Amino acid sequence: MSQTLQTPRAAKPSSAKPNEDADALIERFGSTRKSRFTRHVILCAIGLVMMYPLLWLVSSSLKPNGLIFEDLSLWPTEWSPSNYTEGWNALEYDFGIYFSNSIIIVVLSIIGNLFSCSLAAYGFARLNFTGRKLFFALMLGTMMLPGHVLLIPQYIMFAKIGWLNTYYPLLVPNFLATNAFYIFLMVQFMRSLPQELDDAARIDGCGPFRTFWSIILPLCRPAFATTAIFTFISVWNEFFGPLLYLTDPELYTVPLALRQFIDSEGQSQWGQMFAMSVLSLAPIIGFFIAGQKYLVKGIATTGLK
Amino acid sequence: MTTERPPGSGSEFNRRNLFKLSGLGLAAVPGLAACGRGFGGGGDDESGDGVTLNMVWWGDATRAEKTQAALDIFTEANPDITIKVEYQDSGPYQDKLATRFAANDAPDLMAMRMDSLREYADRGALLDLNEHADDIDLSGLSENAANLAEVDGSVFGVPAGLNAVGFVIRTDFAEQYGVAVPDGNTWSWDDLATFAQAISDASGQAVYGTGFDAQTLQNLVVWVRQQGEDLFTEDGKLGVSAATMEAWFTMIDGLRQSGAYPPAGFFEEIGGGADQSYIAQGKLASQIIPTNNFLSYNEACGGNLALLRIPGETQAVRRGQSVDCPHLWSVASASKHPKEAVKLLDFLTNDPEASLATGTTRGVPASSAVAEEIKGSLEPDDLVATEYLIGLQGEDLPRSYTYPPGGSAIADFLDVIAVEVEFGRQTPADGAAQFIAEATAAIEG
Amino acid sequence: MTTTPTETAVMPGAVAPPAPQRKPLSKFMARKRRQGGRGVRKDRAGYLFLLPWFIGMLFTVVPFFASLYLAFTDYNLLNAPKWIGLENFADMFRDPVLLKSLQVTFIYTFVSVPLSLAAALGVAMILNRGIRGLPWYRAVFYLPSLLGASVAVVLLWRYIFGFDGIVNAFLGWFGIDAISWTSDPDYALTTLIILHIWTFGSPMVIFLAGLRQIPTMYYEAAAVDGASKWRRFRSITLPLLSPIIFFNLIQSLIASFQTFTQGFVMNNGGGGPANSTLFYNLYLYQQGFNQFNMGYASAMAWTLLVIIAVFTAITFFTAKYWVNYDS
Repeated sequence: MSQTLQTPRAAKPSSAKPNEDADALIERFGSTRKSRFTRHVILCAIGLVMMYPLLWLVSSSLKPNGLIFEDLSLWPTEWSPSNYTEGWNALEYDFGIYFSNSIIIVVLSIIGNLFSCSLAAYGFARLNFTGRKLFFALMLGTMMLPGHVLLIPQYIMFAKIGWLNTYYPLLVPNFLATNAFYIFLMVQFMRSLPQELDDAARIDGCGPFRTFWSIILPLCRPAFATTAIFTFISVWNEFFGPLLYLTDPELYTVPLALRQFIDSEGQSQWGQMFAMSVLSLAPIIGFFIAGQKYLVKGIATTGLK
Repeated sequence: MTTERPPGSGSEFNRRNLFKLSGLGLAAVPGLAACGRGFGGGGDDESGDGVTLNMVWWGDATRAEKTQAALDIFTEANPDITIKVEYQDSGPYQDKLATRFAANDAPDLMAMRMDSLREYADRGALLDLNEHADDIDLSGLSENAANLAEVDGSVFGVPAGLNAVGFVIRTDFAEQYGVAVPDGNTWSWDDLATFAQAISDASGQAVYGTGFDAQTLQNLVVWVRQQGEDLFTEDGKLGVSAATMEAWFTMIDGLRQSGAYPPAGFFEEIGGGADQSYIAQGKLASQIIPTNNFLSYNEACGGNLALLRIPGETQAVRRGQSVDCPHLWSVASASKHPKEAVKLLDFLTNDPEASLATGTTRGVPASSAVAEEIKGSLEPDDLVATEYLIGLQGEDLPRSYTYPPGGSAIADFLDVIAVEVEFGRQTPADGAAQFIAEATAAIEG
Repeated sequence: MTTTPTETAVMPGAVAPPAPQRKPLSKFMARKRRQGGRGVRKDRAGYLFLLPWFIGMLFTVVPFFASLYLAFTDYNLLNAPKWIGLENFADMFRDPVLLKSLQVTFIYTFVSVPLSLAAALGVAMILNRGIRGLPWYRAVFYLPSLLGASVAVVLLWRYIFGFDGIVNAFLGWFGIDAISWTSDPDYALTTLIILHIWTFGSPMVIFLAGLRQIPTMYYEAAAVDGASKWRRFRSITLPLLSPIIFFNLIQSLIASFQTFTQGFVMNNGGGGPANSTLFYNLYLYQQGFNQFNMGYASAMAWTLLVIIAVFTAITFFTAKYWVNYDS
C-alpha cells in the first residue's frame, strides 16, 4: 500500500463553478432529451429514498407521540413543538450541558489536530532529516492500524494516570498528532506547494520555523479547513471513546445522552428522542453545508497552480 | 493561526516566539480545563473536612427524585457527609459499574444486580457487612431477605427492597371481551391458557391474551421451582433438568401456536418503561411484572390492572414464587469511607423516614418492622403490591439461593436460546439441551 | 488531474486514493543535494517539528506491544497479568459466541462492502455523465455517509424498521406481511447492512473524482471504433479506475471489520436478537469491559488484526491482476 500512498500528488485546484457550467453544457448537448430525463428521474428517486429517513425524523420530532407511527405522512397533521422543550430537559441534566460538553471536546480536538498535525506534516513534507522515510512509513502504518488493538492497554494506561472520567483520554491524543490521516492530508497538500517558496525564503534568511509559520501555514488554509471539518464530524459523532472513558453523566457528550433515551426502566418518549436526535445531527449538516462552500472557495482563492 | 501572510512579508515570528506560542497553546488546555467539567479539576476529593460518598444505582427520574428525598434527610442529620449520586439505565449501568471497578474507581455504595453479586463478591470487590455489624443492624430482615446476599457466611449486600413477580391482567379487556378474570390465588397454567385464548379469539388478535418473556430468569425460576427443582442449588450448581426447560419452552410455544400469545418477533426492544409496555399500549391483556412496578404499570393502564399470583401455585409439586429483591445495596471493599457508607446503608434499611421518602420504587422495605410502619401512608396501588408481598412473605416458600458466579452469562445465553426457539430455529428440546450444556459450562467454567 | 483535497478527503480514517505519479522525483533529489552540508541542523529542526508526533507514537507503539503481551496472559485488572501461553487463543476456538460474532462480522462485511461500492460506482457514473445540479446531487448522496455512524441515525433505524415502522408500512402497500426486522434474528443484521449501503456516498465521491480524471478522448476514440457501452465500461472505466476501486475496497474492508456502534446501539449493547448483531468488536468490548477478561480481549484484538492483515494482503497480492497502475 505504501508505495501507492506515497505517490506525491499534485492537488490541482479546480474551481467548482466552471465545472458546473461544463456539466450543464454537457447535459444540454451531450445526450438525448429522453436519457437526460431518465437520469434525473433515477437520481431523484435514489435521493428521495436516501433522504426519506432524515425527513421522517424531522417530521416525527414535530408530531405528538401517539401519531408518530400512525400518521406516516411527512407533513404532520398535528404539530407538537413541545417535543423539543420537553426533550431538552428529559434527562438528568438538560441538553445544554451535553451540547456544551460536546462542543468543548470538539473545539479542543480541532485545535489539537491543527496544531500537532501541521507541525508533523511540515516536517515530513518539506524538511529533510535522518530517518524521515522510516518515520513516514511508520506514520502511514499507524493509519492502517485498527484502533481496537490499542484499546485495552490504552485504557489501562489512562486508568493508571487517573484520567478516567475526564476528557483527557479523548483530547490529549489529538495534541500529539496521533491521527495520521490528517498528517497525511496536510503532507499531500504541502507537497503540492512549489519548492521555490522555501528556496526563496531561505535566500531571504528564514529558518525552517519561520518558513513554516509565515509562508507555508497561510497557504495551507484549505487543508486546515478540511481537517477542521472532518475532526468536527468525527469527534461530534464519536461514541465509543466517551462510552469507555466517561462515567459521570454530567460529562456525557450528546451521543451518550441520546442513548440514555432508550431506557430499559425509565420512560422513553419517541418524539422527544427524535427531537434531540435532530438537534444532534443539525451541527453536522450545518458544517457540511458551510464547509463544502468554504473548501471550494478556499481552494479557488489560494491561487496556486 | 491561518491568517493570510504573503510569502516573504516581514512577519515578527521567529522560532522562539513560535514555541512560546505553541507552549501557550498546550498550557491553555489544562488551564481552560481547570475551571470546566471533565478535566479532573473540580475535585471530588475532600476539600477540607467532611466525607464525600459516591452512590450509584439505576432507574429513572422518578426514582431519582424519591431517592434524593431520602438522602436529603440523611445529609441533614450528618452534615459532615456529602453524597454524590449518579444513576443510569440498567443496561449501561451494568457496563459502567464494571468499568469503574476495572479502573479502581469503585463507587462507595452501589446498586448490585442479583445475578452479578458473585462476580463481584468472589473477586473481593465488595465489603463483608458482617465485619461492620456494629454499624448496621440487619436483624430486622426476614430470614429470606437476609439470605439473598449471603455467600459462605459473609453478607455482601442488603436488599434495597423486596419484590416478587406477579401476573397483571387488564380487567377492562376482560370485561370488554366478556372473559372472566380467573381467581388469582388458585389459577393454573391451563386457566391462563384458556383465559388468554378467549381474549385473543374475542378480539381477533387485536389484543393477545398474554405475553411474558421466556428469557427472563425471574419468570423461569418460578416455573422451575413449581416442577420441584431449583434453577441454582444451594451449593451453586445448576439444578434444573432438560425436561423442565423443554416443558417451559413447549408451554410458551403452545400458547404462541394457538394465538393466545403473540407471534415470534412481536416483542421488540423498544423502551422498557411502563408507558411503552405492550400491556399499556393495549396489545396484551396480561403479563408478568415485578411487583414494585405495579404502581407505574397500573397508572399507565388507566388503573385497570388486577394483580394475580403466578399460575400453577396450588397445583404444582411445590410453591414456585419467592420473595426477591430488585437489587441489593453493596459497599465496595475499596471504599475509602466504609464506615460512612455502611452508616448510609443502615439508614436506608432501618430508618422508616428513608422508606417513607423512597416509597416502594424498589419494592417493599426489606425490614419487616419498617414495612409495617410505613404501610399506613402508602398510595393505594403501592398498598396492593405491598399486601401481595407481605402475604407471600408470611407463607412457607422454598428459599432461593444466591446466583452462582457466571449467573449473568446464563442470563445472556438464555436470551439467545429463547429467541432461537421463538423463531423455530431450534426445537424446545434442542434449546433445552443447549441451555443445560452451556449453563453447566458457565457455572463450572 | 482534477482531484482536489476536498474530494479525496472523504472521511477520517480514509486515505486519499492513489494517483498516478506525476511529480518528478528529481526535484526531491536536487533538494537533498543542496542541503547536504547542513545535516545536523536540518535533523534537529525536523525532529523538533515531529516532537508532538514522537510523543504521540508512544501512545501507539507501547500499547501495541503491551496488547500483544496481554494476549498471552490471564488478566482481570485487579491481579497482575498471569502468563498462560496460547490458552486464550485455544479458548477462542472453543467459544461458540466468538465464532458467532466472527460469522456476523464476515457476513456483514462481505455483503455490505461490495453492495455499497457497487452503488457508489453506479451513482458516480451517472453523475459523471454531465448533469445539471451535480453539487446538489452530490451533497444529497454524500450527507448520509457523514451521519451513518451517529447514534441518532442508528436509533432512527430502529424505529424505521420497527414493527409499526415505515418500512413495514411501505411493504404493506404491496401486500407484504410485516416483518419483525429488529427482533427476528434472520433480519436484524439485514437492517444494519442496509444502513451501511445507505452510506455509500463517501466512496462515491472518491469514485466521482477518479472518473473525472479519465480523459474523455479515450471514450471518444472508443466511440469512433464503435465500442458498446458495456465494452467502454470494461475496457476504459474499470481499468483506469481500478486503483481507486482497490483503495476504496481496502478502506471499506478495514472499517467494516471494526463495526461497533451500530451493533451496540441497535440492540441496547447486547448484540441481540440471538447474537445476530454481535459484531466482533462488540464481543471484544463485552469480554474486556463487562467480564474483565482483558487477556482474552487482547487475544481477540490481535486475532482480528491478523484477519484484517490477511484480507488486506490477499487484496494486495491479487491487485496486480486487476489493478492498473500505468494509465
